[in-house]
Amino acid sequence: MSDAKYFTTTKKGELAELRADLQGDKRDKKKDAIKKIIANMTVGKDVSSLFPDIVNCMQTDNLELKKLVYLYLMNYAKSQPDLAILAVNTFSKDCEDPNPLIRALAVRTMGCIRVDKITEYLCDPLRKCLKDEDPYVRKTAAVCVAKLHDINSQLVEEQGFLDLLRELLSDSVPMVVANAVASLAEISETSPAAADLGELDTPAINKLLTALNECTEWGQVFILDSISNYHPSEEREAQSICERVTPRLSHANAAVVLSAVKVLMQMMDILPQDSGYLQGLTRKLAPPLVTLLSTEAEIQYVALRNINLIVQKRPEILRDEIKVFFVKYNDPIYVKLEKLDVMIRLCTSQNISSILSELKEYATEVDVDFVRKSVRAIGRCAIKVESSADKCVSTLVDLIQTKVTYVVQEAIVVIKDIFRKYPNQYEGIISTLCQNLDSLDEPDARASMIWILGEYCDRIDEVEEILGSFLEGFQDENPQVQLQLLTAVVKLFLKKPTTTQELVQMVLTKATQDTDNPDLRDRGYIYWRLLSTDPAAAKEVVLAEKPVISEETDLLEPSLLDELLCHISTLASVYHKPPSAFVEGKIPVRKITLDKRPQQSESETTEDQPPEQLSAVSSDTQPTPPQDPQDPGTGDLLGDLLSLDLPSYNAAPPTIGGGGGLAEFDMLSGGIGGLQLGGPLGGGMVTAPPPASMAGLGMDFFSLSAPAPQPNNLVAPKTVWLNSTQGKGLEISGTFARRNGKVFLDATFTNKALGPMSDFAIQFNKNSFGLAPAAQLYVQSPLFPNQPFNTSLELVTGGVVMLMNPLDLLQVAVKNNVGVFYFSCNIPAYTLFVEDGKMDRKVFLSSWKELPSSNEVQKTLSYPLADLDSVKTKLEANNVFIIAERTVGEDMQVLLYVSTKLINGLTVLGELKILRNGQTTLSLKTNAMNVVPLVQSSLDAILSQ
Amino acid sequence: MGGVFSSLFSRLWGTKETRILILGLDGAGKTTILYRLQVGEVVTTIPTIGFNVETVTYKNLKFQVWDLGGQTSIRPYWRCYYSNTDAIIYVVDSCDRERIAISKSELVSMLEEEELKDAILLVFANKQDMEGAMSPSEVSTALGLSALKSRTWAIFKTSALKGDGLEEAMDWLTNTLTGGTGTGSS
Repeated sequence: MSDAKYFTTTKKGELAELRADLQGDKRDKKKDAIKKIIANMTVGKDVSSLFPDIVNCMQTDNLELKKLVYLYLMNYAKSQPDLAILAVNTFSKDCEDPNPLIRALAVRTMGCIRVDKITEYLCDPLRKCLKDEDPYVRKTAAVCVAKLHDINSQLVEEQGFLDLLRELLSDSVPMVVANAVASLAEISETSPAAADLGELDTPAINKLLTALNECTEWGQVFILDSISNYHPSEEREAQSICERVTPRLSHANAAVVLSAVKVLMQMMDILPQDSGYLQGLTRKLAPPLVTLLSTEAEIQYVALRNINLIVQKRPEILRDEIKVFFVKYNDPIYVKLEKLDVMIRLCTSQNISSILSELKEYATEVDVDFVRKSVRAIGRCAIKVESSADKCVSTLVDLIQTKVTYVVQEAIVVIKDIFRKYPNQYEGIISTLCQNLDSLDEPDARASMIWILGEYCDRIDEVEEILGSFLEGFQDENPQVQLQLLTAVVKLFLKKPTTTQELVQMVLTKATQDTDNPDLRDRGYIYWRLLSTDPAAAKEVVLAEKPVISEETDLLEPSLLDELLCHISTLASVYHKPPSAFVEGKIPVRKITLDKRPQQSESETTEDQPPEQLSAVSSDTQPTPPQDPQDPGTGDLLGDLLSLDLPSYNAAPPTIGGGGGLAEFDMLSGGIGGLQLGGPLGGGMVTAPPPASMAGLGMDFFSLSAPAPQPNNLVAPKTVWLNSTQGKGLEISGTFARRNGKVFLDATFTNKALGPMSDFAIQFNKNSFGLAPAAQLYVQSPLFPNQPFNTSLELVTGGVVMLMNPLDLLQVAVKNNVGVFYFSCNIPAYTLFVEDGKMDRKVFLSSWKELPSSNEVQKTLSYPLADLDSVKTKLEANNVFIIAERTVGEDMQVLLYVSTKLINGLTVLGELKILRNGQTTLSLKTNAMNVVPLVQSSLDAILSQ
Repeated sequence: MGGVFSSLFSRLWGTKETRILILGLDGAGKTTILYRLQVGEVVTTIPTIGFNVETVTYKNLKFQVWDLGGQTSIRPYWRCYYSNTDAIIYVVDSCDRERIAISKSELVSMLEEEELKDAILLVFANKQDMEGAMSPSEVSTALGLSALKSRTWAIFKTSALKGDGLEEAMDWLTNTLTGGTGTGSS
């Protein structure tokens, strides 16, 4: 017996059994089968092959069965997009079912099926459901609109669903209103086109406020979030909104409370700042926020992050509640740290003593992070509340006495800030600090200590020794410490120049010679120069008055704070980052409070705009075309410059003696005067007849008129692009040519196979110049074996531009009955020089001047040139236009100024300097440096032909 | 309940409902026929993107009637419904002379299916109430019915709107299913 038996089985497997059950007409078996299928689906087995059979069970009057089928559909419609269409009719029918549960079920499932093909069929049922008589169906349909918008926003907008959704805002049932609001908000967040729809008007807001009290907590959150985006037209309206929102503060759900707080915070900006109503509101806001702190730790954390924002804007809300922010021994560390933050924000001269005693207590806890933050908090209190500075400093000194290293180090860091804030008040404690020098092992603390030493070096005994001892390990220090050390020693030297010369020499040597850190080296050199040239100036610079620091430094920037306050009760308010920073595709929020914001955002946009491209070369006569390959941005350009092969790019600065760029630069700009500059270059024979009066007729040199373009354009011989092995018998050789102002691809197709070929077609990949075939490729069809066929294909620009590397690379696909073949070839730039590239002399002059010398590339030609006339003819014939010709100097070198314009509008300026001995230098200037190699090799080809 | 009768019936045809497919090009009137058979009224219909399935009782016989959408995009999925089919009602729009050829090719390719080799074929030359409608014999010729071998088939002229011809067709169908054999007649 053969082994084939192992492949045939009498057992059909579970799927076949299930399928049989589904196709049978026993209801119970059917339901059982579907339950089994759903169970399989849930545990991850693929049962998608049963899709058609399940869809066939869809039309049933058994609700349980229908729900199961719908569940299956939601899961597998995406993997069976074609078959999903079979369900459409059933959806339509179910949307008209007398049972509202089935109607809602159908519309909900429809929204969850994300298959493009069937979305259009779902519009009619959805529209019916939005106008359904049953609120349950309407509320489900409202959410479905947002889902559909996510799949196909254009369809939703065209079909007018957004208007229907807005109508639902005035629905009599609160739940429908809430869902409509949620749906609208979601749509306006994702779609810029629908952004206006999220904005509500006064009647809509009133309806929302009416619905607010009767909604579920979800609905309340949606409604409150929408109201918070509303900008009331007048104070009375804001006040009435506040009145109707305030009761929500006593809701049991934290999300509702925070959303209500968000609304109130927005409205408080609009209310008159001195009104009694506002004060009353401020008082009402405190209790709910306090209540949030008696919930579980995670919610406390979220509440604290939000409170942190709220008290930055309005500290008065929680000023009297400082005690609730005192940490409890069993708070998790993240809550403790947040509470500390809020405590500092709330500290005032009234409550500072209780805060300080708390902080002192915290500084003796065991958790290192918490202790550090507490010590830092003491310092921040000192800076914030001036009257408490004494107490804070003495607390810090007490803490330093504990000799716990991390406490000491943290204390020293904050004491540095205190010294900055209150100069010349607490120098008495420096001696205490100096006793702890050995325990400092963190860069922050060492840098702070060294700063203190430098700042107060005139009052510290033996400061030289201390700094000297730090200097010994200079190399091993953190850069931050090195910088501080350098500055401190220089300060010391300026104050006590007599004894510290050696020390300063040492630090400057170390900073400038023994380091790789450019910051340190630069600062070292600056100090060195300052000290050696003008010690008085050095004093003014190094010992300048420092601006006094204030508490503001820790606060969020006001515009960011305002934005974050719009997002209270969202992740943004927990991260303290705007949503655009962490949600992809999020439209930055438009703050709706009264004034300043819009203006600010305007000015931001103008700043963000990239600086206008310098259009030096193309100036006014030749506007830069949009498909300028530079456009993709400087980054891309940079990439191209880096990756482009620039064989002859030697950016050596031109020297006057060598007859380089500067001389010509002057001559061009000066017209006449520049001629003398060429003088000292040495005498000799001339290659071109000198003009009668060189000095007087400078401008006349430019008056040479261009001869009409001649038809003898340069055409490279055909090269093999596709050999017959790669082309399965098809050989293609070709070249590019410019005729009558058009670019042509001239190619020979040769059939080296045994059978005839037919059905030729050609296609280009995207390329740097956007070249594309102007017409179909014509190749005789059939092309018989061993038959060559010459064809010429006109090319036009206007295709998709994509920068290639190298720029002139063109990737071509040729198709025939045998297959598709790919090859690449290079388009010589001289076929892309256009006929109208002749530049006005003045424009040329000013362009040449405007282009920096970094945009100039020079090359010495390696081949002898023909006589000048034929050079000129060749150039002009290939659309390289002679702008001016000049003979200069005793050696009568000839200068030819040329311009050419590429098919994409880029202009390249050139100078051809022909010395008497035949040596020729070609300089090119352009603001699109990446085309230089291309143009260079083209000019080479033209000149050497 | 009704034990005697049901056991008698089940012995004759099994407990299975007779499974009928209504097929045809889009706009031929399939959905209208289905509901005419089920509720005896003309209902307003929209193009069926998918299918309708209803249970139709005719002369104490239960039929499970599937009406499948006729749009070009849905026709490929007809095959999902072929298995266990007892009879096919193929509906033709008698006024649509332009597409009768398409209708024929769909019919031919359908009848080639192995799963349908035992199914009875009823062709409804529908929309007879319209002027210029093709006669059943014209339709029969156009569809090439006479070439059918080893298949029980019949063609009826019907008007779903008026209800004409449906009863005769159903009578013929029940007779054929219950044992009487019939060949092409109108």
